[in-house]
Amino acid sequence: MDSRAQTIAPPTMGVGEEHREMAMTRKQWLLSSVIAFATLASTAVVAGPIENYSPVTSARLENPEPGNWLMTRGNYKGWSYSSLDQINTNNVKSLVPVWSFSTGMDSGHEAPPIVNNGVMFISTPYIQVIALDAATGDLLWRYKPKLPEGFSALHNTNRGVSLYGDKVYVAGLDAVLHALDAKTGKVAWDAKVEDWKTGYYMTMAPLVVKDKILVGVAGGEFGVRGFVQAFDAETGKSVWKTYTVPAPGEPGSDTWQKPDTWKTGGASTWMTGNYDAESNTVYWGTGNASPWFGDQRPGDNLYTSSTLALDGDTGKIKGYFQYHQNESWDWDEMNAPMLVDFRKDGATTKGLLKPARNGYLYWLKRSPDGGISYINSEAYVPQNVFKSIDPKTGRPEVDMAHKPATGKAAQFCPGLWGGKDWPYEAYNPRTGMVYIPSNENHCNNLEGKVEERVPGQWWTGVAIPDFHFTVDTKAGFYGELQAYDVDSGKRVWRNLYSGSMMWGSILTTGGGLLFTGGTNDREFRAYDAKTGEQLWHFKTNSGIIAPPSTYEVNGVQYVAVQSGYGVDPAFQQELMSQLVGWQKDVPQGGVVWVFAVSK
Amino acid sequence: MPGNDWLHCRCYKRRTILELALAALLAGSARAAEEGEAAKPPAPDDRFAFLTGPKKGQVVRAEDLALGGPQMQAYPMAPDGTVRSDSRLNLVILARFDPAALTDETRTRAADGVVAYSAICTHQGCPVNAWSNERSAFVCSCHGAIYDPRNAAEVIGGPAPRPLAALGLKLKDGVVTVASTFSGHVGVTQN
Repeated sequence: MDSRAQTIAPPTMGVGEEHREMAMTRKQWLLSSVIAFATLASTAVVAGPIENYSPVTSARLENPEPGNWLMTRGNYKGWSYSSLDQINTNNVKSLVPVWSFSTGMDSGHEAPPIVNNGVMFISTPYIQVIALDAATGDLLWRYKPKLPEGFSALHNTNRGVSLYGDKVYVAGLDAVLHALDAKTGKVAWDAKVEDWKTGYYMTMAPLVVKDKILVGVAGGEFGVRGFVQAFDAETGKSVWKTYTVPAPGEPGSDTWQKPDTWKTGGASTWMTGNYDAESNTVYWGTGNASPWFGDQRPGDNLYTSSTLALDGDTGKIKGYFQYHQNESWDWDEMNAPMLVDFRKDGATTKGLLKPARNGYLYWLKRSPDGGISYINSEAYVPQNVFKSIDPKTGRPEVDMAHKPATGKAAQFCPGLWGGKDWPYEAYNPRTGMVYIPSNENHCNNLEGKVEERVPGQWWTGVAIPDFHFTVDTKAGFYGELQAYDVDSGKRVWRNLYSGSMMWGSILTTGGGLLFTGGTNDREFRAYDAKTGEQLWHFKTNSGIIAPPSTYEVNGVQYVAVQSGYGVDPAFQQELMSQLVGWQKDVPQGGVVWVFAVSK
Repeated sequence: MPGNDWLHCRCYKRRTILELALAALLAGSARAAEEGEAAKPPAPDDRFAFLTGPKKGQVVRAEDLALGGPQMQAYPMAPDGTVRSDSRLNLVILARFDPAALTDETRTRAADGVVAYSAICTHQGCPVNAWSNERSAFVCSCHGAIYDPRNAAEVIGGPAPRPLAALGLKLKDGVVTVASTFSGHVGVTQN
């Protein structure tokens, strides 16, 4: 299917020569005390030519070298953590840009730079994939697929590539999974996942589990039925497919009490899962139920707004936890929880930790058999929907005055973008803290109506002009960055953003730092992970809504991030311009920025 | 998964009949021509078939449209009955207003207050399938672009860069009929 795509390579691939020159240039950035944190794998390839590409194995993914950033959140546990510490609280003030690269694309850039031994892969809106020399920023290849005529998607973004063997995998907006040759960018195979005309699309980074590539789908606003599907990494053949809404007769089907509502019930799977290699369990989050108003689909509606535990080999559902039942607030719980072990009653618990979109931070227990059980939860932003939460089951008691329904308007806070949306929280094992990018002092007031479904069209039961998004105009802030101790559950510090929402994923490092953007002022910031003190900032071209990553080439640690505002943050920004007078437009257009410490 | 194939099915039946009739001489080319017809953009003398609502699949008459909005979605239908639903870019929205409420430009294209525009949002290509009572205007449900149906679908809110392309209309015995082709590019121009 090469005809669907166009790969651009530079006229000469003399990467080796360029790298020798580059190595001299890089000396400027070498610190006087380079500590050999890189493993053999990350130092062995001296930013070698792409001909010497290092194949990615399951063993490498299970124990990623600190010098590389092999997957979206850095490791299978979803920590967004790197042990690299060359850049640290002492020298971060000397961080300077060493190269940048314009993607040439507009809309929201939400993919982290993925780095494998000196080669960086980024994806852009409209699913372009670009391979760059991670030390110099030189273009190695570029993949530009053609979307079908008449194509549209609610979000044109992409959240990153995944690596396995000698291939790069990217989930197409048009619900086609693409496998590219990592060395050339040429298509190795394409696999149709679903028919985009019916409302399915894909934005998440695929998850590699052994020799399989797992993908999930978006489309919860279009009445799709969610699923997670696994493909053979080598051939692209489907291996298993697990729907996240049970068909009649399957376990959980009794939670769809009205006939046929399950067929269009949502539970999309639009964010990447995490993986426990020890128990071979994939943890994958699910989105809102559809349409948005629960009275149109009575019942708990499993497995909407849940975390599913799936067998990595078969996709069999081994366990689940549903955060809220009969979903009616567009509170997707699409982010998989982080795999974090924490202290509970004097003992270490193998746990799952999740700041949920519903505004609560959850401590859950993960069992070797895939079972998920509730331990505790605390609101991390004010929330007016849950009257209480059952201490044994975690099931909330909902205040019906704050539950919208068909023909019944109700206000709820936080609004539909939740206490946090998809941006990744991070966990730093050295501080024992989880860092949450969150938003508060905002609400929605929704009233549902019954709408005829047209496959491929918006089908929520409410139109965008009727979202009635409001904020507390007397509040001193909206966006915030919070740190919680995972053992005590206590908030340790928080930073408040008075003039912006917070849409930034967090990167945390062994250097005692946090890196994030997420605000409308185009800033990229570094904070002290222990105290929250801002230590460094840099104004980029656009707003940053992509996750940062960090890596090492030839003994130099780099921090990289894409800056490119768009999608929901831009929409919300426009609403805030009407409500509180923020500037309407944050400049758009994607650029990759790479930073290192100046000598 | 409920399909959106009702229009295609209808076409297919027609196609089958036609193929049988022309099998001796023209089977291959006739099929190609027919499939092409269903993907071609609306042309003069096309009528419209409702995509949704109680009259789904039926020919659109002026009185079927509520005065003052909201819009209805429809596909153009060639004079031979072929519904042009093979391309999503052919989807149109129809609405009816008091002719006095229309701007001169829009009234010139309208037929007794009935207006027709491409349904494909010029922002990101989603169908413009929502209606704002507050603004009395078309709304794209994906990202909130707002278009003024009385004034050439000019953008009056949201992120769209250009108006929707308009169709010139006429009425034939009350049936809404295409008089002139799209006034401009349909859908997204970028990327």
